Amino acid sequence: MQASPNKQEHPSKKELELIYTIVNFGLGSKIIKFAKHNGILGATVFLGKGTIKNRILEFFDLTDIRKEIVIMISEKLIAYDVLEKLNKEFHFNKPNHGIAFSIPVLKLLGARSFSCDETNSSINDINESRGAENRMYNAIFTIVDKGKAESVIETATKAGSTGGTIINARGSGIHETQKLFSMEIEPEKEIVLILAKKEITDAIVSSIRKELQIDEPGNGIIFIQAVNKAYGLY
Amino acid sequence: MNVLTEKLKEVILAVLPITVLVLILNFTITPLESHMLVRFLIGAVLIILGLSIFLFGVDIGVTPVGTLMGSSIAKTNKMWIVILSGLMLGFFISIAEPDLHILAGQVDSVTSGLISKTSIVIVVSVGIAVMVSLGLVRIVYNFPLYKFLTIAYLVIFVLGIFTSSHFLAISFDASGATTGAMTVPFILALALGVSSLKKDSKASEKDSFGLVGIASAGAIISVMAMSIISKSDKITGTLEYNIYESTSIIAPFIHNIPTIAGEVLLALLPLLITFLIFQKISFKLKKKPFRKILKGLLYTFIGLILFLLGVNSGFMEVGTVVGYELASLENKSIVVIVGFILGLVTVLAEPAVYVLTHQIEDVTSGYVKRSVVMVALSIGIGFSVALSVLRILIPKIQLWHYLLPGYIISIIMTYFVPKLFVGIAFDSGGVASGPMTATFILAFAQGAAESIEGANVLVDGFGIISMVALTPLITLQILGLIFKAKSGKGGLEIDAGKSEQTGTS
Repeated sequence: MQASPNKQEHPSKKELELIYTIVNFGLGSKIIKFAKHNGILGATVFLGKGTIKNRILEFFDLTDIRKEIVIMISEKLIAYDVLEKLNKEFHFNKPNHGIAFSIPVLKLLGARSFSCDETNSSINDINESRGAENRMYNAIFTIVDKGKAESVIETATKAGSTGGTIINARGSGIHETQKLFSMEIEPEKEIVLILAKKEITDAIVSSIRKELQIDEPGNGIIFIQAVNKAYGLY
Repeated sequence: MNVLTEKLKEVILAVLPITVLVLILNFTITPLESHMLVRFLIGAVLIILGLSIFLFGVDIGVTPVGTLMGSSIAKTNKMWIVILSGLMLGFFISIAEPDLHILAGQVDSVTSGLISKTSIVIVVSVGIAVMVSLGLVRIVYNFPLYKFLTIAYLVIFVLGIFTSSHFLAISFDASGATTGAMTVPFILALALGVSSLKKDSKASEKDSFGLVGIASAGAIISVMAMSIISKSDKITGTLEYNIYESTSIIAPFIHNIPTIAGEVLLALLPLLITFLIFQKISFKLKKKPFRKILKGLLYTFIGLILFLLGVNSGFMEVGTVVGYELASLENKSIVVIVGFILGLVTVLAEPAVYVLTHQIEDVTSGYVKRSVVMVALSIGIGFSVALSVLRILIPKIQLWHYLLPGYIISIIMTYFVPKLFVGIAFDSGGVASGPMTATFILAFAQGAAESIEGANVLVDGFGIISMVALTPLITLQILGLIFKAKSGKGGLEIDAGKSEQTGTS
């Protein structure tokens, strides 16, 4: 399936970045709060496990530590600014204080403040205009409310994807700002990661978008990142 | 060393409130003898150490064993294996539970041997085994928890009509007594293991909880059934208290070591044995993870001994004395208020509470935060202690005056509350009535009963654990309702630009 070539160029398109921070359990919500103060609109957190390098602890087998991975999308300039401020506030430059990094995002759907006009643009064009090396795959991330991930994968499979990975998460967008004893409630989400060939990315994205009504506010977001190499996909 | 300090900090924060409370009482209303105070402080240190080690052990030992077992049982995809392993696990875990043996011993003596200790231990274990097995089947078949609980408590209600009031207290106490520090983490993990295989993520999440609550119901049903069948409706005998009188500071600790070590070993054995059997036939873990789990079980062993040593030798006596002194004051409202605060802070140091709250965080990816659950639990236990003390002060209040409406309300609530919280609430009932509450709060109430005329230490002493197991059902379900009300999305109708501005409101 070949995606239809697009007529328009988007020279003025905002460049987007995805910020990742990996911190000790419990800090995630603080990072979100801080980032939201500095212009980030929404964030998603999922849990992980880190390991510790320490002889004594290794002897006792106490090397697991719970981590939170926070992801946030923003325009490049804002993202860099927030990253720097996060670095200052949470001391990422010191050891054992967590890490932060960012990866460029090709396209974002479902957030009104970005990219609403590009409903027709195909992902491939964006890629070409950036002059990246010849990629074959894209990583499609879909973040939806808990319980909807199954239907995301189903829809994607119908559109040609061969599978998907569900990650349990929590997060809050601009529509979810309820509080409980001064603590922000971050409802449960699911992140679906689908790796797909460049040619079918558009088909998958548009069918997820239609099925889950991503363009309606509060129904989740989709973003796409470039993948240079991928193995294990058939 | 980050991990160690983090855990230690967490535990110190949990044990500190109760320590401070007792110290304040010591310098204000109820001065304690100095040797008792020193013992209390040693106890607090032991509890902090023990709890930290125990929790590490649960993290790398008990919980992995439970989840592995749960998922490998469910993976077999054969109903008879699920039923059989539920029966076996439930039976062996509860028959080894030290608290059950203590309760059975008490029942034996108050019925003057009509219901023998052995028979009650076996019957309750069978009851729990059946319920654990049914609980697992429920998860596999997607039978809703609230309906299951409604049926279970209807049975309890019907049996309760035929049970004498004394036995009512004993049987509801059994629900708390049988879910001890070692079994709760294991049963929690077991349910998690079975339900995590579900494809439907929402069902998988909510079914991770509730098995402890179901097991507790099994204990209640079996004790009630026993009392009805054996037709013993009166409490005739007396309880013997073996309080080790000594002004020595170290002696009580040393004196208690062998019994506690024996009990903990007994509670750990079924876990260890089933783990080894499963390892041979099903897990086939590599050497490193296998050793890690064994180390974890060793940590739980050491940690629990230290913890129980601290509670039994350092805290229990102080609890009795504080209760006694406060209740003999002119102003009776003080003992109720202190009881409330005591309940608030005691539950924080309960080992299984940590395990439950951590599992909640893991399962919900941090959506339901530990601190909130702790607050709800605390408030619940606070009320339960205050209400129990009130019952001791006012003989007219019967235990069923609390239990009946309490359980009716909690069962009705299960129909409205988000299903995740139903499971959490009914689990926390069993979780809250662990070793800390069972000894310290019980000692406090018994102390209060001793000093009040007309109150019977024996009769009023029973029933406190059942209150502790009841109130969290209500407070946590209320929390669930709050979450439900607050988790909706705001500003969907307004256009995006506007909702950003109103977002903070």
